[in-house]
Amino acid sequence: MAGYLIRRILLGLLTLLLITMAIYALIRYMPGNPLATDAAMMNPENMPSEEDIQRMRAAYGLDKSIPEAYAHWLTNMIKGDFGSSFAEKKPVLDVIGSRVTNTLLLTVPSLILAYILAIPIGLFSTARSGKSDERLVGVVLYMLYAIPSFIAALFLQLLFAVKLEGTAFELPLMGTKADDYEALTNSEKIWDLLEHMILPVISFTYVSLAYYSRFIKANMEEVIRQDYIRTAKAKGLGPFRIMIHHAFRNTLIPFVTLLGLSLPALLGGAIILEQIFNWPGMGQLYFRSILTRDYPVIMGLTFALSVLTLLGQLLADILYAFVDPRISYQ
Amino acid sequence: MKETTAASENKKSPGFWRHAWLRFRRKKLSMCALIVVLLLSLVAIFSPMIAGTRPIVCKYKGNLYFPCMAYFNADWENPIFQKDRFRKRYPKNLKEKDPDSWAVWPLIFQDPYRPVRNKEWEDRPGNPFNGGEPSSLNIFGTSKGKDVLAMMVHGTRIALLVGFVSTGIAATIGIFVGAVSGYFGGWVDIIISRIIELVMCIPSIVLILALMAVIEQPTIWHMMAILGFTSWTGMARLTRGEFLKLKESEFVAAARSIGVGPFRIMFRHILPNALAPVMVPIVFGIAAAIKVEAGLSLLGFGAPPPNPSWGTILNAGMTNYTEWWQIVFPGIAIFITILAYNLIGEGLQESTDPRLADPKD
Repeated sequence: MAGYLIRRILLGLLTLLLITMAIYALIRYMPGNPLATDAAMMNPENMPSEEDIQRMRAAYGLDKSIPEAYAHWLTNMIKGDFGSSFAEKKPVLDVIGSRVTNTLLLTVPSLILAYILAIPIGLFSTARSGKSDERLVGVVLYMLYAIPSFIAALFLQLLFAVKLEGTAFELPLMGTKADDYEALTNSEKIWDLLEHMILPVISFTYVSLAYYSRFIKANMEEVIRQDYIRTAKAKGLGPFRIMIHHAFRNTLIPFVTLLGLSLPALLGGAIILEQIFNWPGMGQLYFRSILTRDYPVIMGLTFALSVLTLLGQLLADILYAFVDPRISYQ
Repeated sequence: MKETTAASENKKSPGFWRHAWLRFRRKKLSMCALIVVLLLSLVAIFSPMIAGTRPIVCKYKGNLYFPCMAYFNADWENPIFQKDRFRKRYPKNLKEKDPDSWAVWPLIFQDPYRPVRNKEWEDRPGNPFNGGEPSSLNIFGTSKGKDVLAMMVHGTRIALLVGFVSTGIAATIGIFVGAVSGYFGGWVDIIISRIIELVMCIPSIVLILALMAVIEQPTIWHMMAILGFTSWTGMARLTRGEFLKLKESEFVAAARSIGVGPFRIMFRHILPNALAPVMVPIVFGIAAAIKVEAGLSLLGFGAPPPNPSWGTILNAGMTNYTEWWQIVFPGIAIFITILAYNLIGEGLQESTDPRLADPKD
């Protein structure tokens, strides 16, 4: 196991190196640079002199060649210094840190909801397989799965923020806070945040809910055909106990790996959804930093997401060995 | 006895794909989905004849012209209309400049690229610029003055094209890379597998956004290429797996023993046998490509503005939520298209899986 882990980690480091290299080269090839996208610089009355531009290029490291600048970024990164955001003039780690909570506010409840709801739906679908109510649930899940989350988000906004405006069901269109947030009491503040979270969390949840439920059902269908389920039935166990204790426990193996693979999405958020809900999270940060050519932030986010993806894969494999004693990494 | 063998030799047993088609045809939902996609393709092919402001066919100064073809490619507009200063306003110019002219017009006189002006078509009022609710003239309303239905009809072309072209690119790369990796094995396989894992590690939307940002003036074709170049990994892995399995079979050994070259074995002998499992992710890939295109256009990163993609209409709708028709109609169109491709993919999966085959067939 230790040898396997070391090999995986070394390979992961190599992958990280190659990814950051590729993304660094890519963003440096983007037309335009951070100096040209800053609104203050575009002001014709306030055009910076040629010397100023040269000085700023040097300060941003834009005067170096791409390999040189990448090596510079890499050595600083190893020392724990990710540089400063061009747009916000703050260290990259602070910029990302200020956004992580917002993204976690959406992704954690959505992950928990998806798992809590998917298990009973999956078990129900297996137990009632082929019956009319199961078919209905199946069709609804299938349709949900085909709706892109950004379209569901827009439809939810139309329904709850525009159509139901002025009724008791009205929900905020976007953002994280009401306009009069500062004037609210603490309990009202929490309620306000919850209200703002409802639509984004639903949009985050339903696709994975549909996917997980169908996933559980597909796995359960395979398991309940096994001999040991027939044995359990033959010795007179109730259907509930067979379902939970004998069948479901054995579908946990592939289910657990899904958990590992959802790690990057947990922190990465979603670019399109956060943009639609104007939610100041990681996805929106990524989008904005590409638009403003904020190289250090793009690199910091790419690095963080790649680490999470690799860790997620590793975690999935380790969990796999943990829940399934037949698998060992020798 | 002799006669029966002769008879069975004459009657060729149906091949694998015919079997699959027979099984697919029995799935009602998948067949419905196939019909939906065929209808959408018809809409896409005939889009300039369904909605447009250029005549389908017209007789002008003694010659026949097909001005509607300019919707496919702006260069296909006959130079005579530029020389005669039509400025894309056909109805009045045709009558004024040649009283004997005649023309066959599209079903809906609306343009996906610009608002129709007042009295452009006889006494018809122009499109309202703001708050153009669905009405008898603009069935799906207007988006910044442009008719939403006309944009959606022409957007079908983009949606289907994006699906086919980008998935075609992805499938070509994926199948080739996977085939080479699986067939040759050894260090070729190790290197290619590492590259696949590397590409899989980069979140695709991030890579797509970065690549789109690199191109100075992205067109819809750039986007298709980028979508294709970022979504081949799944297919490559699948093809690799199939090739690893099939290269050990006897027919490959037989082909090799009579001196067939490796690429001929790979693509003439192994690939047809590996195609069925690879076809399924290709169909799902089309649905995914349509979704990503819509998402990128919604972010404003998609096809440049004059292109009436479904996502571009959503993008306009996001600036003003009270104009619900800019969100609801394209949203439903995207949903139906993705659902249809998913259903076809699932039908294909079930009808090509030999484990699910009905022994009576």
